[in-house]
Amino acid sequence: MDLLYTVTDAFFAPLWLPVLVGALIALLAFAQRWMVDQPLSCSTGFANLATCLRPGGRRDRGGDWRIVFLLGIVLGGLLAALTDATPAWQGTAAEFGRFYTALVPDSTVGSALWWLFGGVLIGLGSRLAGGCTSGHTIAGVAMGAPASIVASAVFFAVAVGTAQLAAWALGV
Amino acid sequence: MLNRRNVLFLAFGIGFGFLLSRAGATSPAIISDLLLFEDLRLLWVIVTAVCLGAALTWIAWRLQWRARNTGQPITIQHKPFKRGLVTGAVLFGLGWAGTGVCPGTALAMIGEGKGFALWVGAGIVLGAGAGSWVSQRLERG
Repeated sequence: MDLLYTVTDAFFAPLWLPVLVGALIALLAFAQRWMVDQPLSCSTGFANLATCLRPGGRRDRGGDWRIVFLLGIVLGGLLAALTDATPAWQGTAAEFGRFYTALVPDSTVGSALWWLFGGVLIGLGSRLAGGCTSGHTIAGVAMGAPASIVASAVFFAVAVGTAQLAAWALGV
Repeated sequence: MLNRRNVLFLAFGIGFGFLLSRAGATSPAIISDLLLFEDLRLLWVIVTAVCLGAALTWIAWRLQWRARNTGQPITIQHKPFKRGLVTGAVLFGLGWAGTGVCPGTALAMIGEGKGFALWVGAGIVLGAGAGSWVSQRLERG
């Protein structure tokens, strides 16, 4: 019984051991490759979604699975939130941390525009690069793709550089 | 739309979204901890996922494991060097550092009820739409 309690407690913990989560993500991505022979991929699905939403856009039916996968991620987030034994998320400073609390504008309109513009950069950048942290970093680097290694190195170098510089400028 | 294949993809998506959340990747605070080198838990998540993924891929390639749906050896897909790759990766890095969100985690955050992620998600759809258009022009040269 003690073991059962330990396992249940561990399941409901909001954060799992990093090595465990990493290993499970690798197994999941590999299972997807093995069962349906498709890679872990997020940003291409967003491009397909954009085509679906655009009036007169001709959708690529072969890519429908990508949108189904994106929908699954939303449900997975919901499942995680329902089972993490913490109260519902309220947009607390703790969730944004010192850095994003200082970086993002305070006003409702300002912050909405900030998030929207950030999203545009992410979407545009991932399409030009041909992938994001899922497709390039997790799936692509694991398959030893040179383009994915370069893209991931640039993702991390720019993100770390920008964040460090901004933290220094903001004094946080 | 609803067939065995899509049900599988839905299940894989649910698993991925759930794991992103348990990893802490859906919290901008934890993303900033990573980028500012204050807490490297996400780095260990990524390093483990990549290393184990590489080992599994290598074994599958050596032993010529076959995909269950096609019966053919699994595809080792190398993404191409696109013309806008470095520019795109720079823009992505800026957006990622600016928001603490990436395309996969934006969706998981929406599921968790983090309202601000709806704005980011809308931005990603707009940006991805624009990006496909630019990308097609670049590829044509």
